[in-house]
Amino acid sequence: MNKLGKLDDVDVVIVGLGAGGGPAAKVLSEAGYKVVGFDKGPWLRHEEHYSGDELKFQNRSYLWPDVKLMPRTVRSDVNSKARIFNFSPVPANVGGGTSHMAGWTPRPRPSDFIFRSLHGDLHGASLADWPYRYEHLEPYLTKVEWEYGISGLTGAEKGAGFRSKPYPSAPLPPTRFGKAFYDACKKLGINAHPLPMSHITKDNSLGREAKNRTSFWNQYGDPTATRSSVATTFIPDAIKTGNFEVRANSFVKEVIVDDQGVAKGVIYVDADGVEFRQGARVVILALGAIESARMMLLSKSRRFPDGLANDSGLVGKNATFHEYIFAVGIFDKDFTDPLYGFTGNYQSGGSMDFYETDENRGHIGGGIIATTQIGQPINMIMPGKPSWGQAGKDSDRDFFNYSMKIGFILQDMPQETNRVDLDPDVKDMWGLPVARITNKPHINDTAMSRWQINKNVEILEAAGAIRTMPVYLGDEFTGNACHQQGSVRMGVDSRKSVLNEWGQAHSAENVFVLDGAGFPTAMGVNPTLTIMAHSWRCADYIAKIYLKGRTERTVLEPLKSLERA
Amino acid sequence: MISKSEWEIVPLSIDPDSTKKMFFTDHEWETIEAAAERIIPTDHDPGAKEARVIVFIDRYLSGIDYVYAAADGSGFLRMSGRDATAARVSNEIFKAMYREGVKELDKIAQEFGFKNFKESSAGTQDKILEKLSGKPKPERIRFDVHEVYYSRLQGNTDQDKTFFETLCLHVRQGFYCDPVYGGNKDHIGWKVIGFPGPKSLKDTIDGTYTTDPYFVHDVSWPELLLDFKGVAVCKVSCATEGGVCCGKFGIES
Repeated sequence: MNKLGKLDDVDVVIVGLGAGGGPAAKVLSEAGYKVVGFDKGPWLRHEEHYSGDELKFQNRSYLWPDVKLMPRTVRSDVNSKARIFNFSPVPANVGGGTSHMAGWTPRPRPSDFIFRSLHGDLHGASLADWPYRYEHLEPYLTKVEWEYGISGLTGAEKGAGFRSKPYPSAPLPPTRFGKAFYDACKKLGINAHPLPMSHITKDNSLGREAKNRTSFWNQYGDPTATRSSVATTFIPDAIKTGNFEVRANSFVKEVIVDDQGVAKGVIYVDADGVEFRQGARVVILALGAIESARMMLLSKSRRFPDGLANDSGLVGKNATFHEYIFAVGIFDKDFTDPLYGFTGNYQSGGSMDFYETDENRGHIGGGIIATTQIGQPINMIMPGKPSWGQAGKDSDRDFFNYSMKIGFILQDMPQETNRVDLDPDVKDMWGLPVARITNKPHINDTAMSRWQINKNVEILEAAGAIRTMPVYLGDEFTGNACHQQGSVRMGVDSRKSVLNEWGQAHSAENVFVLDGAGFPTAMGVNPTLTIMAHSWRCADYIAKIYLKGRTERTVLEPLKSLERA
Repeated sequence: MISKSEWEIVPLSIDPDSTKKMFFTDHEWETIEAAAERIIPTDHDPGAKEARVIVFIDRYLSGIDYVYAAADGSGFLRMSGRDATAARVSNEIFKAMYREGVKELDKIAQEFGFKNFKESSAGTQDKILEKLSGKPKPERIRFDVHEVYYSRLQGNTDQDKTFFETLCLHVRQGFYCDPVYGGNKDHIGWKVIGFPGPKSLKDTIDGTYTTDPYFVHDVSWPELLLDFKGVAVCKVSCATEGGVCCGKFGIES
């Protein structure tokens, strides 16, 4: 056995240095607190480790965890045996998902925060309002857009919530397939616009250089700092204060809790397998909604025999994952100009026109759509593409530059039965039980998938596609969006939620969960911007209120009118 | 343990014209090369043979020295720790899969009354591959059919696939990969489909390689969008100087 080394206590430990941990590290260290941040993965440097190598990043998973080392298991219901599957993989390194993601960073809509008030109860789902509203988050959305660096076209999204400042960077010009998408949308009366993205362009107010125009983007690390990533923004900001230390390759095994339910710090294993105890006044979990729930379930104590702060039994339940689904259109090269589907920083135009509920569609809620890259040559996306022979070669040659895709972020409804728990059989490389995901789409998810993908097909046809291939949500989620929400629900009622509006555990007041785990509903936008803004808001509370020995509640005004767009 | 961030760059390079075998026997090399030729055939454009897909596959199967090119293409990363252990386990699986796979191809050839796979005619080789895959040889994409599909995980690792699926994927990878891995010789694969691609990995790091010419530059947002009057970009930058944005961002049309 390794001896347990003890280190000097700090004010705050943060477990997980991705979209959730990054802003918290910045805010708390800038406020003068001593902070240590853990990541189980390495600290890769963009200028040293990244390049436009399709095989390395897309096929040989340089950034994604090896499923043999950090497996997850998945099953569709409690009666099935879970199988090992790389469900919702996110890079295990400092920066987390922000180091590889395409980086759609649209804002949520005001309606996202009052989803249950708008829709009432949905059979089989566990809809809930958030314990705060859009207006509470707006200042932090703005902070992130400016401090992290988001490009967008201010004023182009019709029906968006209030914003206090424009975007700090202009968007990229459209790609050829982007232009085809805009033209088709215009023809159909759809309000399309460049989507906000977590990269900057040369036209920006942040003084940053935008150098990467290689179009090696989604799932690639960016060798320049054109992409905004936690590892190139918030982490360096935090380090600059002298109050923040990164401990990479350090796996946190559990949160230590005393008999009163107060967290005392964490136990972690360093790269050489040596165990340490790191004491702290505040423990922040930001591992992503799957691993944060798992960490709480692994942290059993006398006060919390079912896992940290799990009095309600809700830890791990109501998880949502989104699903990335799409339709592809192919075009006749003799009659159309090339679309160059390999270009751009993944997306090149989208729409929020299908975001708000319209019950004529046969489902509630909605999500964001966008036209996205077909990809680079090895992994060109064409469902049903002939896999070998002359037909395979012909389809590559005929359609690589003559196809386009319109994707959709499917907003799945929270269900108590869609959950994360500990797998009874499978262990990770540290010998601890892995996260087991149980999930089955709600009927609303399936209906939304059908309706929206058929709409995407209609847009492709308006753009001139000669054949379309729709890709719907199947019988299970695959976690292919790499989005994770809901598993450690926030709410005002401690019987129906685990966390309050500050991401603070109802029953363990010095434990905060600052990633998407707290989000009671999935939203129809990519969660990263919201995760960062939420983390910033909660970290502000920790720094200015909680660590000063005070408490404050978010006031929720009664909802005056519940108009739907 | 050496962290992934500290993996050393070994100055190895792969000569695509090499006939030196690091994993395959002569017979296996010739068999897999012949199969690759059927998977991406040579027509009026080059195919798997000319792209030296066989060298790509041989080097990949040889061990874990050629898994990850260094970011700038100056060599390959020496993996360590648990990542290396996991990669070795995968490599052993692939080695056994290819050894068995070649035997299977020859066995099917013999069932068809031929000596082996590599010396059979192209037509027979196609039939053998059909038998191996359990499906008819794919036909050209048609425009008059409607098929639906269901979502799957992004990315395309070579884990948990059959020999035939693995072979098709590896041939494809060898045809379109960065040439540093031994395939896609002289960017042959990229030229066939019209992908410009970088001259080298180094060009993807320092701004040399750009896809900017493939974007649309001659339209404005108000022309392109349904209902948008001007481009709003903050030209004032008051907020970066610690103030509150004045809101007077420039309107360009």
